[in-house]
Amino acid sequence: MRADRFVALCFTEALRGLFGHRRTAAPAIAIIAVSLVVLGGFMLVSENLGTLLAQWRERGHVQIFLQMDATAAQVDAIAAGLNSNDAVESFTYLSSEDAAEQFRQDFIELGDLLVFLDENPLPASFVVTVMEPLRQERALVELTRQWEILPGVDDVQYDLQIIRRLELGVNGIRFAGGLLGLAVLLAAVITTANVIRVLVVERRREIIVLRMVGSTESLVRGRFLAEGAIQGFLGSVIALFALYGAYKIGVAYVSAGGGPLLNLFPMQFLGWRLGSALVGSGVVAGVVGAWMAFGASGDSRG
Amino acid sequence: MIRCFHVTKRYGSITALRDVTFQVEIGEFVFLTGASGAGKTTLLRLLYRAELPTSGQLVVAGRNLATMPKRQVPGFRRKLGLVFQDFKLIDDRTVADNVALVGRVTGFAKAESQRRAHELLRLVGIDGRAELFPAQISGGEQQRVAIARALMSAPALVLADEPTGNLDPDRAIEIMRIFRAINRRGTTVVVATHDPDLIAALGYRTMVLEDGKLRVLTSTEQGR
Repeated sequence: MRADRFVALCFTEALRGLFGHRRTAAPAIAIIAVSLVVLGGFMLVSENLGTLLAQWRERGHVQIFLQMDATAAQVDAIAAGLNSNDAVESFTYLSSEDAAEQFRQDFIELGDLLVFLDENPLPASFVVTVMEPLRQERALVELTRQWEILPGVDDVQYDLQIIRRLELGVNGIRFAGGLLGLAVLLAAVITTANVIRVLVVERRREIIVLRMVGSTESLVRGRFLAEGAIQGFLGSVIALFALYGAYKIGVAYVSAGGGPLLNLFPMQFLGWRLGSALVGSGVVAGVVGAWMAFGASGDSRG
Repeated sequence: MIRCFHVTKRYGSITALRDVTFQVEIGEFVFLTGASGAGKTTLLRLLYRAELPTSGQLVVAGRNLATMPKRQVPGFRRKLGLVFQDFKLIDDRTVADNVALVGRVTGFAKAESQRRAHELLRLVGIDGRAELFPAQISGGEQQRVAIARALMSAPALVLADEPTGNLDPDRAIEIMRIFRAINRRGTTVVVATHDPDLIAALGYRTMVLEDGKLRVLTSTEQGR
């Protein structure tokens, strides 16, 4: 039989079978969708955090926090030193009042908090962007050491420290998400296997007839594998729509809570690669489930 | 067409066929008869390679079934047309789709399979029922559909296991006339039946099984 006719026959028979037994097949599709929502949810979160961290890493920002009682002369000296430093691409001075205003813009709900405090706790600082070749940990540590000992400086922080801590968190999320996703996907595979097993039993007579009229074993099995693939595909498409809906609701919620947060965390939906990977995972889960079902149904005899 | 040499089939301690030897020539029509449990169905299952003989040699359509690899069984079965007492039609497919399915699994395109299916349904006189489901037609009509399906791959050999077992005498005679017509076109036909009236009505060579042993081979006569 020609390959195109074989594939077309497998898939038309599979679609026909699934439609005819849609109530039996629905639970498998639902479980695959749920498992891929879990897996895709973790992918969405870790992908966005990863993008955020990459953006931070590229910024190469160092923030020099001044002591609350730093004198104007000390501030000017630090500014002059930064001006003449070849490692510095640019810098801006952020006064204590500017920092308070920035806080109010970033956190609309918490902005009132500063009114109830006796004095503004946010220190003045210099936000320094270092030259691109020096945006690496060793150089940043060296610059930090130089600036920490300047008179009037309270603390020096650079993004890489935060990024490193966040990376640990993101890796943790990825690992936990991967484990949980695999566990739920395994449940989806087992559910698909059970559903296909039921479909095989329900169509035992049809399978016997197919074998009697000279159908090859690959065709008998192929249609059930195609059914598994279609179940996985439908489950993953449903999962993608559910994730997109959740993503849109999340973005709307964050927007309603304060626009600047979106500026800090520019969220994106799964790209085509991760989306394809999610759909692929669903299809593979369906095919593996179908394969397991046919092997275990005891219906593989000629 | 069929060469059966000293074939024995055992299921554990039960012997279903004992040292059966016979031949069927190309283009011949043969009845296989005997009481229930005599071994007719077992012999037919061996002939279409649903099972293997415990001992002996069985050559069908030039193929030694004892040594045939499993992967070649589908190709072998496409040379056969099988008809069963319970019709073995697929309930949720139309009459035409039941017949066309054979075309699809043997590699014909959908349109070609449907065209051939309608031709065969016309041949067995049931084309008007093509779009109905098996449950919507009578037992005699269902058996005609099963015969049309058996002919779909233009088989060299048709094996029928009690094809009239569920039909009244008039319908049974009609079905047998169809088998006779098929045979007259050159196809070898083996029909298992325990209905002596049918055998007498058609008058072809008859093999009688008793307790798994081939007791009687009546001589070949020209069918009436």
